[in-house]
Amino acid sequence: MSDTGRGWGFVAPALLWTVGLFVVPFAVMAAMSLARLEGRDLVWGVDWGNYAQLAKPQIARAVLVSLEITLTVTAVSVLLAYPLAAIIAFRVPPRWQRLALLLAVLPFWTSYVVRSYSWLLVLSKQGVVNQALLGLGLVAEPLTLANTRFATVTGFVHFFTMLLTLTIYANLMQLPRNYARAAQDLGANGWQTFRHVILPLTLPGVVTGAFLTFVLCIGDYVTPQILGGNNELSLPQVIMVQLGRRADFPLASALSIVLMGLVMLAYLLCARWLRLDRV
Amino acid sequence: MTRLLAWLYLLLAYGFILLPVGALVLFSFQDGRLPVPPFQGVSLRWYADVLGDRDLMAALLNSALVASGSSAVACALGFLAAYGLARHVLPGAALLRAILVLPLAVSTLIVGLGLLIVASRLGVGLSLWTAGMGHVVINLPLCFAILYASMGDQQRNAERAARDLGASEGQVIRLVTVPMLRPALVAAFFLSVTLSWDEFIVSFLLTRFDVTLPVEIWSMLRSGLSPRLNAIGSLVFLVSIAVVAAVELVLRPGRRP
Amino acid sequence: MSVTDRALLSTALLAALPGIAPAQELNALVWCDHTDPALVEPFEEAHGVTVNLREYEGTGAALAMLEQSQPGDWDVLVIDSIDVPRVVDAGLMAELPADQLPLGDLFPEVVMADSTTRDGRIYAVTEKFGYNTVSFNSDAVDPADMQDMSKILSDKYAGRVAIYDYYLPVMGLAAVNLGLNTADLTEADLPALRDELLRMKSLASSVGEVTASQTALATGEADIVIGGGEWLTAGLAGEQPELTWTIPDKGAVRWAQSIGVLADSQNKDLATEFVKYILSPEGQARLATSSCYWGMPANRKAGDILTGEQKATLRWDEQDDYLARAQLYPAPDADLDARMQDVWLEMLQQ
Repeated sequence: MSDTGRGWGFVAPALLWTVGLFVVPFAVMAAMSLARLEGRDLVWGVDWGNYAQLAKPQIARAVLVSLEITLTVTAVSVLLAYPLAAIIAFRVPPRWQRLALLLAVLPFWTSYVVRSYSWLLVLSKQGVVNQALLGLGLVAEPLTLANTRFATVTGFVHFFTMLLTLTIYANLMQLPRNYARAAQDLGANGWQTFRHVILPLTLPGVVTGAFLTFVLCIGDYVTPQILGGNNELSLPQVIMVQLGRRADFPLASALSIVLMGLVMLAYLLCARWLRLDRV
Repeated sequence: MTRLLAWLYLLLAYGFILLPVGALVLFSFQDGRLPVPPFQGVSLRWYADVLGDRDLMAALLNSALVASGSSAVACALGFLAAYGLARHVLPGAALLRAILVLPLAVSTLIVGLGLLIVASRLGVGLSLWTAGMGHVVINLPLCFAILYASMGDQQRNAERAARDLGASEGQVIRLVTVPMLRPALVAAFFLSVTLSWDEFIVSFLLTRFDVTLPVEIWSMLRSGLSPRLNAIGSLVFLVSIAVVAAVELVLRPGRRP
Repeated sequence: MSVTDRALLSTALLAALPGIAPAQELNALVWCDHTDPALVEPFEEAHGVTVNLREYEGTGAALAMLEQSQPGDWDVLVIDSIDVPRVVDAGLMAELPADQLPLGDLFPEVVMADSTTRDGRIYAVTEKFGYNTVSFNSDAVDPADMQDMSKILSDKYAGRVAIYDYYLPVMGLAAVNLGLNTADLTEADLPALRDELLRMKSLASSVGEVTASQTALATGEADIVIGGGEWLTAGLAGEQPELTWTIPDKGAVRWAQSIGVLADSQNKDLATEFVKYILSPEGQARLATSSCYWGMPANRKAGDILTGEQKATLRWDEQDDYLARAQLYPAPDADLDARMQDVWLEMLQQ
């Protein structure tokens, strides 16, 4: 057998798996997004009606809600994670860094569903935060923290701050230390060193992490469902409503394609800095 | 001054990160019906309750089966593909690599929905098998990427030497490539297990009666705050940390952190 | 390959697959009250079988699951009585043997023969009923206000209200409050219903399913649940007697759920046995006090088994008055149903 033939033999199982169970289902879903429901019967064809539903306020709002939440989460997480990663990398003595990093990502090891739930313990009316505030006499009535967008964003930021701290820390550790020293020798102060040396060098890593955050956040159903109290629905929640309550597969498919379109858009916007091969 | 600020920031950040887990574990011992302050005393009854829950324990076992099974398949397929692409010249190799990592770039909701549509069109009943197949789709790109990245020149030389000494390709893979890639294989396997263990939406869409742990926890969760959830969450937390510690020891023999 | 060989082979294959045992399993699609082991285990032990239960959160979800399944996947279906015609029309239900069912023991008001029978054949039997009305924490609100929906929907209770996340009963309740007949709703009524829902939403802190609504009330996250009723508070009565419910002066909505056997079931005899068990006085008493939610048993004979305390919690003696003051869930056709769901989604998104 030729070298190429043997090579195909090795690649074929994985390729068949991915094509058969991902590419083909995706194509079926794309075709489904152009079908429509008549009563309870599925009619295949090319019908853009499902996409036209984006004009309905309740669907359009879901796209907007998802984008607002995801952009907020991405920005806040980067802003929180960068200093944390920098402090661990530059202030914590090397022999303690591994422990410091481990502590910073410890909640990774709780279950994903449970992680969102644990924020309910903290944010609900009888939760830790409200009881502490009431106990200290800082508020007279418990604050409404759970079942809000604030709760959803907090749950997300918690998770993605951990993720970004890991990626940014890895980036900072790859920086040759003498770059910063050289900048200081040339008279740069701490801020200038950061602004002109460290930040540009870590930007690709930060953008890659932010992109990952965007993708995972915008596609997530669990966190807004647990913490948002159904007070507004994100795109994945509206997709699940179509699936679970109405079995409207065509509309669910169309909205999933829209979801993927948003991810593609984000990819194009940050493609310049992305280093996906280095994640 | 900046030094002080830095330590203060570190403290606050740890507070934010560890607060929910602390509340989770603390109130799993709550001697009362609600897992919120005030703490009413230490009780292990919720752990007893959780460990005695037939459905929950079945889900735990299901999750372990699906995670290890799908990870083993994903690693095997990923290894073969990585080997094929790294050691053989294939036309369109870049395109093949792109197709193999493609599922990484979409939300798991989309992977699950596509499979659900195809399964219901083909009349395939939903079960742990369908969920496991979905998990392989999600984990294969990662396993492939990790293993492909670790197929360096060092192995290539050793493989060539083995071939020069008359080993067949099968022998080379079995006796040289796999042993040399052991750390990467273990890492890929456990990363895959971790992701599969925690995966929700694909399992939710693709299972029916026998469900995985996150799906079972999800249906418990709809009953809102309960110390039972704290107990099962804390148990999962402890088990995961134990597994991570074990992997750490396997992967880094002789090195103390 | 002969038929026997093939049968043997498929049996062997089935046996080899975990989770698909060859014989005597019953698959039931149910509301969450049926998942209580105290209800199902006696049946499993008596017949030496396993009952697989899958719960859903509304008729739409149940129909979606049936559509995604293969014929024969399901044996037993529990569904809101008002929706029985939809599944009968779709040819999904099997006829039940009337002579084996305790039909004469049911509360006459909840038999709902229009829905559950067709041409003299019985396709489902009402098993449990109750009310979608107003549940509240009597320590936190003025109980007198709870008799009047317009007082509930005032700024006094802003942010203290939760809404039960099921469009049919809550839209029915909104219709009752507007003086409309729930049975005669049309598209023309939707704008008014929509305004009423948006008013509810503007005061609400959350919108949640059965158990989430219970927790909201139990933990003080909300003081009032619109759409609640005995199903929300009865299970908590022992520990939190301040949680209670009432039917406002203008009335409320009655819910009723039915049980039946699916036409494609491969286990019709066992499925019928299950239906008979659920409708027996013992099954009815267990179903009425099941852990997910309580509700009135449809079979009056369950009253002989329920304790006095349980009957008091269920308000057994006041049912005549309640039944007279409550209207049924709306039962929209497919088009109106889709429009109602759109309005509901719009409400959620406000």
